[in-house]
Amino acid sequence: MTTARTAAQARPQQPTLRRAVTAWGSFSWGYSDVGADIFVGLGLVLGAAAGASNIAFLFAGIVYVCIGLAYTELAATYPVAGGGQYFVFRGLGDIFGFIAGWAVLLDFTIDIVLFAWSCIDYLSKLPVLPFLAYTSHPWTHFLVVFALIVWLAGLNIWGVRESSAFNELVSALDVVSETAILFFGFLFAFHPDLLVHTMTAAWPNTFNLMNGVSLAIISFVGLESISQAAQETQRPASIIPRTSISLILTILIFALSYSNLSLGMQPWHPIPPDAHGHQQMLWHFLGNEENNGAAVAVLASYVPYWGAFAALYVPVLGAILLLISSNSGVFGSSRIAYAMSRTQLLPSIFQRVSPTRRTPVVSIAAFCGVAVVELIFAALPSLSPGMHHLYARLFRGEDGITFLGDLYAFGAATSYSFVFIALIALRFNDAQSPRRFKMPINIPLTYRGRPAEFPVVAVIGFIGIASILVFTMITHEIGRIAGPSWIILGLVGYLVYRHRKGLPVFRSQRHDWRKAQVRILQEAGELELMDEYLRNVKAAEPPSATQRGLER
Amino acid sequence: MRRLVRSRAYARTRAVTGALFIALGAAIVVRTLLMLGLDLREIPALVLGAALIVLGLLRVRDYATLRRTVR
Repeated sequence: MTTARTAAQARPQQPTLRRAVTAWGSFSWGYSDVGADIFVGLGLVLGAAAGASNIAFLFAGIVYVCIGLAYTELAATYPVAGGGQYFVFRGLGDIFGFIAGWAVLLDFTIDIVLFAWSCIDYLSKLPVLPFLAYTSHPWTHFLVVFALIVWLAGLNIWGVRESSAFNELVSALDVVSETAILFFGFLFAFHPDLLVHTMTAAWPNTFNLMNGVSLAIISFVGLESISQAAQETQRPASIIPRTSISLILTILIFALSYSNLSLGMQPWHPIPPDAHGHQQMLWHFLGNEENNGAAVAVLASYVPYWGAFAALYVPVLGAILLLISSNSGVFGSSRIAYAMSRTQLLPSIFQRVSPTRRTPVVSIAAFCGVAVVELIFAALPSLSPGMHHLYARLFRGEDGITFLGDLYAFGAATSYSFVFIALIALRFNDAQSPRRFKMPINIPLTYRGRPAEFPVVAVIGFIGIASILVFTMITHEIGRIAGPSWIILGLVGYLVYRHRKGLPVFRSQRHDWRKAQVRILQEAGELELMDEYLRNVKAAEPPSATQRGLER
Repeated sequence: MRRLVRSRAYARTRAVTGALFIALGAAIVVRTLLMLGLDLREIPALVLGAALIVLGLLRVRDYATLRRTVR
């Protein structure tokens, strides 16, 4: 065993990411990404699912817990930065790895626009700087979001990332702030009978409930950050499960609490009437077109006592968190494209690194360009009355932020579906890799003469996320066209590229996963796991084959 | 921030908030059941209560593990 370890250590070292992220750092990394989603998702879901918003969040939340458990198992077993794309690539092969990665890329580009869009919405709700309200004008809004995307692209090309300490501080402040809002809201203004009344009186039809569920999943997107953090976390196999489960529960609690509070809270001061002069309920006010982009800030301002103070800082805190999330879209898309290019799933141009700044300049520019195109599509109905009528006729009048939400849900549901299948495949194809954390409820069985475990929760999660994908396709006219078009366009490009390069088009290239796994565990500092892995491999195969593998 | 999260006071605070989460989760579950009886509309509240209890238990367990390690 010592020989194997020495042999593995003797390989020439390539520059790798420094493992400096602690347990708290890993939590805050994930929180600053996933935690921002509720700032966008709450208003959209309230607008769609009305009195059943908490049910929509519950359904999406249960699916999200399954996804989170799957990511935790996979990230602790394979602590590399590729995330869902890497897991699918490894479990299902090249073409499915490409499809999953391409769907994740769609999500990252939407992430850039959606969070930049919402960041401006939050800032416009800041009462102490009334001139920021001008950003709610469609043209100003469009230009400011555009400028923000260009600025983020420039920062990433220049090579500036927000510091880990800043992430940790913002996450800590946000957890405290959200807890305070919920505490004061539930303690002084929540009425369970009002919640029951709203759920009964404003229960949506099936179509709107499906629409709400498909939008609720966007409050839980960003689990890629768990695996991205795994690449830079100290002892990931033991730290990732601990922090991920806390993160999953925290996000679930916030989403369920906000939705229940929105439906059952008696506002501290009167809500203004709608455009027709009718009285509005709080959930209706939060979900209308004017407020759905900044629902958490508006809700916070109606909370007793704390609300007066929250109105001053929640828009800023929300905007910062959303900006970090938007930046993670720029950073994440370039990193995934770079990784896909290195494994010959994308052309080598995406590996091109700026000689002076050492950043993947082509990937950043290309995917920020895609984000700008998405921004134009999202902003068109508000910029031109003609386009507004066209969207109303073709797409049932979906507004910009809903258009972005549609595509976000589509990309997430597609990539997560593949991750569940990959997890099941890896349990059988790579049973030798030690798993410090496993999804609960497994059926032990024998596969090709070797013991393996069938993950029941992965099947439940797959059914859940597949149904959300179906809901997205049924309820979103734009998502139904644009989402599959993105996948088909990418797939055509992939087939042409692989054919021209003389690489297998529908089949996978040969990969030495055993060698790769030894390297991954070695670089993660998980030497005990590496030894265990080599023991498992040795026990599973004839001695001569194992020896040949190690010598190679 | 890193110094703070490594301190003993932080670990204790996490244990105390963990106990509070358990109490809050239990209160939500009991109050919901008492108010509505068995009703499908109470599922989100029950899941919220259960999630709070699990999060609290994790925090308390972390603190217990830490104490055992220090000893």
